[in-house]
Amino acid sequence: MTYPLERIRNFAIIAHVDHGKSTLADRMLQATGLVEGRAMRAQYLDRMEIERERGITIKAQAVRMPFRAPDGQEYLLNLIDTPGHVDFAYEVSRAMNACEGAILLVDAAQGMEAQTIANLYVAIEAGLEVIPVLNKIDLPAARPEQVALEIAALIGGDPEDILAVSAKTGVGVPEVLQRIVAQVPPPRGDAEAPPAALIFDSVYDAYRGVITYMRVVDGVFRPGMEVRLMATGFHNAIDELAVISPEPLPIDALGPGEVGYFTAAIKEVEHARVGDTVTDHRNPVGTALPGYREPTPMVFSGMYPVNSDDFPGLRDALDRLRLNDASFSYEPESSVALGFGFRCGFLGLLHMEIISERLDREFDIPLVTTAPNVKYEVHLEPTLLRDGEAATRLVSNPAELPEANRISHVLEPVVDAMILLPSDYVGPVMQLCETRRGVMKEMDYLTEERVELRYELPLAEIIFDFYDKLKSSTRGYASLDYEPAGMRQSSLVKVDILLNGEPVDAFSSIIHRDKAYEYGKRMVNRLKELIPRQMFDVPIQAAIGGKIISRETVKARRKDVLAKCYGGDITRKRKLLEKQKEGKKRMKNVGAVEIPQEAFAAALSVGGD
Amino acid sequence: MAAGIYLHVPFCRHVCGYCDFNTYAGMDDAIPRYVAALRADLDRIAAAGPRALAPPGAEVAGDWPVFTSVFMGGGTPTLLAPADLAGLLRHVRVALPVAADAEVTTEANPENITAEVVATLVDAGLTRISIGAQSFSSRVLEFLDRDHDPELPLRAVAQARAGGVPSVNLDLIYGAPAETPEDWSSSMETAVAAGTDHVSAYALTLESGTTYAARVRTGQQAAPDDDVAAERMAVAAARLSDAGLRRYEISNWARPGHESRHNLNYWRHGDWLGVGAGAHGHWRGRRWWSWRSPARYSDAALAGRDTTSGAEIVDEQGRRTERLLLGLRMISGVARDRVEPVDERQVARLVAAGLLLDDGGVLRLTDNGRPLADDVTVRLLPA
Repeated sequence: MTYPLERIRNFAIIAHVDHGKSTLADRMLQATGLVEGRAMRAQYLDRMEIERERGITIKAQAVRMPFRAPDGQEYLLNLIDTPGHVDFAYEVSRAMNACEGAILLVDAAQGMEAQTIANLYVAIEAGLEVIPVLNKIDLPAARPEQVALEIAALIGGDPEDILAVSAKTGVGVPEVLQRIVAQVPPPRGDAEAPPAALIFDSVYDAYRGVITYMRVVDGVFRPGMEVRLMATGFHNAIDELAVISPEPLPIDALGPGEVGYFTAAIKEVEHARVGDTVTDHRNPVGTALPGYREPTPMVFSGMYPVNSDDFPGLRDALDRLRLNDASFSYEPESSVALGFGFRCGFLGLLHMEIISERLDREFDIPLVTTAPNVKYEVHLEPTLLRDGEAATRLVSNPAELPEANRISHVLEPVVDAMILLPSDYVGPVMQLCETRRGVMKEMDYLTEERVELRYELPLAEIIFDFYDKLKSSTRGYASLDYEPAGMRQSSLVKVDILLNGEPVDAFSSIIHRDKAYEYGKRMVNRLKELIPRQMFDVPIQAAIGGKIISRETVKARRKDVLAKCYGGDITRKRKLLEKQKEGKKRMKNVGAVEIPQEAFAAALSVGGD
Repeated sequence: MAAGIYLHVPFCRHVCGYCDFNTYAGMDDAIPRYVAALRADLDRIAAAGPRALAPPGAEVAGDWPVFTSVFMGGGTPTLLAPADLAGLLRHVRVALPVAADAEVTTEANPENITAEVVATLVDAGLTRISIGAQSFSSRVLEFLDRDHDPELPLRAVAQARAGGVPSVNLDLIYGAPAETPEDWSSSMETAVAAGTDHVSAYALTLESGTTYAARVRTGQQAAPDDDVAAERMAVAAARLSDAGLRRYEISNWARPGHESRHNLNYWRHGDWLGVGAGAHGHWRGRRWWSWRSPARYSDAALAGRDTTSGAEIVDEQGRRTERLLLGLRMISGVARDRVEPVDERQVARLVAAGLLLDDGGVLRLTDNGRPLADDVTVRLLPA
């Protein structure tokens, strides 16, 4: 038995972080009677520890809520909870494609944010029916009329028609559910056609293998059916077919329009990729559902174990993380300064932070993470090509940039950035974008107070601290979203840092020519503070090619002895020196210079600015 | 073989900001009981014999060796009544075998040294006095919380000489942020002119848990600067050598024959008894220490109980580390066979950096290496 199509409603919630998405979802679970008040735990749907702590959703989830509408009929509401961050834009688009409608949830005090608008555009592009809802109307700072005007300016319609709720107290939530039934179109599909379903999420589970979430488009899936995942070719029989309501509930058939998950002894999420199509291995569809694409890392960083003994452990940890996150990449690399590690690629900065945090938290491996960088397309001077050498190459590690004289030109990735801000701050934000080599594309006043700025910006300029700077120059009121916009030629140089005359690969950076001097000077000064005095003077230099652009010296240490040492506590003194010996072992040696790992980490953390 | 006896007097009139020794001010009422406790503890230790101190199973004679030095440290030993101090020195000889020609030292604050005190102590066998002068500059003394007149140590040296103390030491501290280069030069001149037999010159060190450390943390006083300290140490080395005082340890200079036998025994990894609150002792690779609290120490000692609050048996590598860290402090260096294995790669680096001398038999610090003794020691420890 599958559910009648005309009584299914699939919807997502579009909201900015903190605008109350998870709370609204929680209230819906209660309003439909699916979860009793006392069984309720905050943010029912956010299952990962990190998600709950940061109050964000990283993985999509889906929950099935039977709802008896005022017309007396029972409807099946499927809430597909989407990730909310720009790093996961592709995952968002797939989840939207599994829906027919979306609630646009806006904090009545904060108003629209760039991220919300970006996701709103994704929903509109996917042809979703958008239902605007104002949240937090009970807050003293709420200004519902004004925010309603902003919303109407974006999506049209009558501001008077916009629903108002307090997800905290539950006021207005039943009306939202009724509006979903009334306005979101039921899915279309053919139960007789060859089965086809869209994967919008896959999660690794140590006991059952990968749990693959899908929205059925055509046909009927049943336990035992041998399914094929079209992009990867993986096929196996379904072990478990279930829906989440809100706990897993096994089901014997999943038909058109329905949302659920299956397991099929899939060992890693790599095989069940978001956006892929699931079909019947014996009765497959001719063509996959549209829109699948391979994940493309945008931001790269070297990850090195603080203790070189941890290298095999780090490899295992990355292998295991990869089992449930197919969107990051890693390959071994070695650094003269840091030893053996991995060059990892991430969807964005948040993604990078999440992976580092999980490595630290779940595997307890202290890491030195090099400053993040982007992938450059380097075109070599045709006349200087070596035998068999390709004319262009992609460089994701600055240390691997070829010598300057062999480079014809370099392209760097740029993004289309959308910044939403109060009109008072347009000046400072434009200035910030200019210093980050931005090119203005558009400026729109959504209302008199709210402006949408569009800039083309080099990705490299926004991956360090652009967001922090944006927030601080607008007292926290601006929001940012961006999407890749191809490659742009740029005047880039490699700045090397030399210690005691030897280049330290981990500190090499690719920088715009106009900023290279300032960058070199800052790194040199920073290192001067961080590198402890040695047995001899240590010059620190920044250089472009062979040309030194900045220089400082760490003077030799002259005294360290605790002069007072007679009788007394020799035990304490011995233990102190033994501890220092242990500390010495954790030093990285660059030539004859000994550098504590912490100094490396601290120096690398300021890559941008 | 040398063997020493250290007696600790944990009382001061006031505690100086930089001091992290086990000492207390305002507890004068506890002194008589503490003196009695020291005597009782000496008796108990003497009766128990050396086997009670050495690591279990070590081959140790049942009888005490003849002790070659006695040292009264503090705190301020001269805060005790002269008769009590003299009585303690005599009691040591009653309780334990002490050589007739043993070196018997007391530390003293300059203001306590009168003709009467000197006469009483010399009569009780005192051979050496170590005067805490610290500096001859009033602004440095003020920085250090020392409450004496800068002239006082000179009078103390004269009193000691007049009273027939055979060997006189001046303790000095350099590198206080209030000290100018001229202050230190003039302190050197004054010490030399006073005709002292021995100078101990220590760099002011910021010890955690002291008043000084708290003042640095809150910005009331500056921390000492290592470069300045290295400079001052070099000045001291030059000036004292010119005056005929030979350097025999990083911080110690003496006219020939006036080297402190008691301290040499520490640096040579010898055995000694530590008696008194918070005192540390060492016997054949076992180290122990007594209750730090004078009251708790006195309670145990007067009840005839063991006063030990902790002990450790140092393993063979630990002993080599100790011989290295102590031995490198001496100008004569340390014999390789007492400390090997050492990190030979580091030996080569340190020799190349001009910090260490290695003749194949003995490792010695150079003048540049001496202020870096700790770092050199750490480097030499086997990886």
